[in-house]
Amino acid sequence: MKMRRDSVRLGVLAVVAMLAAACGDAGKPVDPAPIGSVQPPQPAHVGGADPSKGGGGTADTSCDPKASLSPNGVGLTGFSAASTMGKIKQRGKLVAGVDQTNFLFGFRNPTTGNLEGFDIDMVKQVAKAIFGSDEGRVQYRAIPSSQRENVLKDHQVDIVVRTFSITCDRKKRLGFSSVYYVAGQRILVDGNSQVKQLSDLSGKRVCATATSTSLTKIATDPSKPVPVSVDNWSDCLVMLQQGQVDAVSTDDVILAGMAAQDPTLKIVGDRFTEENYGIAVPIENDDMVRYVNAVLEGVRNGPWQASYKQWLGSRLPEASPPQATYQ
Amino acid sequence: MTSTATRPEAPGTPVVPVPPPAPDGRSGIAGLLELPGNAVRVVVRSAATTPGRLSVIAVGLVLLALIAGLVATVSVQNKKDTINGLIDHREPLAAAAQEVYRSLSDADATAASAFLSTGTEPRELRQRYEQAIAQAGAALAKAASDSAGVANAAEKVDILSQQLPVYTGLIETARANNRLGYPAGASYLREGSELLRAKVLPAAQDLYRIDTDRLAQEQDDATGFPWLATLLMLALLAALIVTQVYLTRRTNRLLNVGLVVASVSVVVALLWGTVALVVQGSLVASGQDNGTHQVDVLVRARIAALQARADETLTLVARGDGAPYEADFKQLAGQLGGPDGKGGLLSEAQGLADGQGPAGQIDAAIQDASAWFKAHTLVRVNDDRGDYQDAVDLAIKENDKGTAAATFLSLDRNLLAAINIGRQQFLDDTHDANGALTLLAPGLAVLSVIALAGATMGIRERLREYR
Repeated sequence: MKMRRDSVRLGVLAVVAMLAAACGDAGKPVDPAPIGSVQPPQPAHVGGADPSKGGGGTADTSCDPKASLSPNGVGLTGFSAASTMGKIKQRGKLVAGVDQTNFLFGFRNPTTGNLEGFDIDMVKQVAKAIFGSDEGRVQYRAIPSSQRENVLKDHQVDIVVRTFSITCDRKKRLGFSSVYYVAGQRILVDGNSQVKQLSDLSGKRVCATATSTSLTKIATDPSKPVPVSVDNWSDCLVMLQQGQVDAVSTDDVILAGMAAQDPTLKIVGDRFTEENYGIAVPIENDDMVRYVNAVLEGVRNGPWQASYKQWLGSRLPEASPPQATYQ
Repeated sequence: MTSTATRPEAPGTPVVPVPPPAPDGRSGIAGLLELPGNAVRVVVRSAATTPGRLSVIAVGLVLLALIAGLVATVSVQNKKDTINGLIDHREPLAAAAQEVYRSLSDADATAASAFLSTGTEPRELRQRYEQAIAQAGAALAKAASDSAGVANAAEKVDILSQQLPVYTGLIETARANNRLGYPAGASYLREGSELLRAKVLPAAQDLYRIDTDRLAQEQDDATGFPWLATLLMLALLAALIVTQVYLTRRTNRLLNVGLVVASVSVVVALLWGTVALVVQGSLVASGQDNGTHQVDVLVRARIAALQARADETLTLVARGDGAPYEADFKQLAGQLGGPDGKGGLLSEAQGLADGQGPAGQIDAAIQDASAWFKAHTLVRVNDDRGDYQDAVDLAIKENDKGTAAATFLSLDRNLLAAINIGRQQFLDDTHDANGALTLLAPGLAVLSVIALAGATMGIRERLREYR
């Protein structure tokens, strides 16, 4: 009797098992809207290193980059109508290539719509010397770093004042004034970062603008950081804030402008390059180089300090204008 | 009763009574398989006699009337459903897709304008931007509701719904930085614009194209003539007439009332159906030509204008580095008004309107466009000459007469009015087309039943004479 009950129970179990098998596996709940990987937005024209354009060619020491043409004997008002300055005066406007994204040196003030900064002050000084006043005498053309040489070669602008480092390589193609500011490359990272120098960034993504000396330095560093190039300096800040690069490495004054826009960032390490900023003109305009040098002589005695105090004073230690050297 | 000779199978086929199913054997399936053969045999045998033949004719007529009536009713009902679908579904969806595309282009242009204005962000620009984003979101939800079955559209909706919040995030970051006076704001704005132009607007344009093509496709379907139903009805009419002739010959009675009623109801069904469908088809086609096709051209014109406007302001935002934007503006202006201002989408729309419907608004839009292009040239002259602030004022001051902003806004308003008129024309014509089919489907059903009943009664009357 017991055996029979057992076999009945076994049979019931078998039937249940068969039914379960027939119903099959319920499977897993499906993801109703799979998205794959998310691509964060990024600024236009992001690229890597561009060795063909050479950047500034910092390694080139075939010349003294600081030595410019002497302004001796050049009067600020006594230029002839046929000179480059005479033509500019005739035209009524000085056309200057500048930056509008570099906080403190050349940027658009969103409250007024005007361009402001240390570089802009230099442009105004040149315009003031030519026209007597800079009011309404400057036509600014905002240009990305990569266009600085082209706009001069094509004579679209008279001068470029845009944190432009004088290098022997660039001097082969452009005319440069004497040095009006000396900066040095450093590193901008997130406040929590342990990075202290470029060698800590081995294999990490580091941002600089296309064809800048900073980009060349990053691309050629033996610790092999990964260079990321953009059009404008603010784009580097955007990429750092969006977490798409680990650091920005360029001249300390540019980094100071970025750090001023975001208190969670910090500038680390010592200067590891020396960048001599000069005002660039088309290569054939020697008279303009001498004239700008004469203007800068005057700027060193007064206006320079005023500009420095206004834009950089609260963010960098006190400084004095660099001495001019002439050939 | 010698007509058996005319049946080829009859002489050779021994007339054997169908064997009753064997009480024990014969599986059910084999029995089933034999059924059609048996049926044929029964019919053939009955056709050997006049009453039998009349019965066969009656069954044939009933079947034909049933099928013809059913096919006609169903295809008319389908057509009605298609037309209702056009009004309730397809056209609103195409409009939603165009709204996504338009409002995003609008947001791009407005964000750039707001950036150019200095000091506090102008209220009306901020409102226009918020309006555009809200419209884009709502229209996107509507467009998404129908994209499930269409892989291509679903993919575009996916891109749009993933990137729209990212875009607004960038614009708000740009605003916050702008308020603080930081140039990073400009970079975020450019990043947002880049995202919109590289990813979002192309997807919106594709979605618009897909939905507009589907609308045109269904309009074509709705104008098609239901040939099968018509052929079946004609076949039924022919069968009724042949039967009538056969009966007249056989019985020497001129008319069979039942068959006459059946024939008349089929003729009525054919006439009613044909007239209604022709009217309906031409109305749907008119809704397509004067409505949706015109709207499509106008919408493309409006979007080209919005994108050109974004280019105009972004050229000024770029401040000297905006040559690519200006080139894009020239190209879009060419699309909009033709290279000499006498062609392009606007004059295409003018040609389509042909002096009717939105023609007045289109004429006004053409004048606005030419005024805008003039103002734009002035903006460029000022900017290229170095009078940047004058150029900006000319570009963004909405309340001054003849500025680029004012003429553009007027153009946009006129195009919107023209689009609304076009949509109304579509709605009116398509609604009338739907009206042309009123009661046709049930009418055809009733007429078919009448034909069926008429044929049955008519033949039964004759059959009775053989009893």
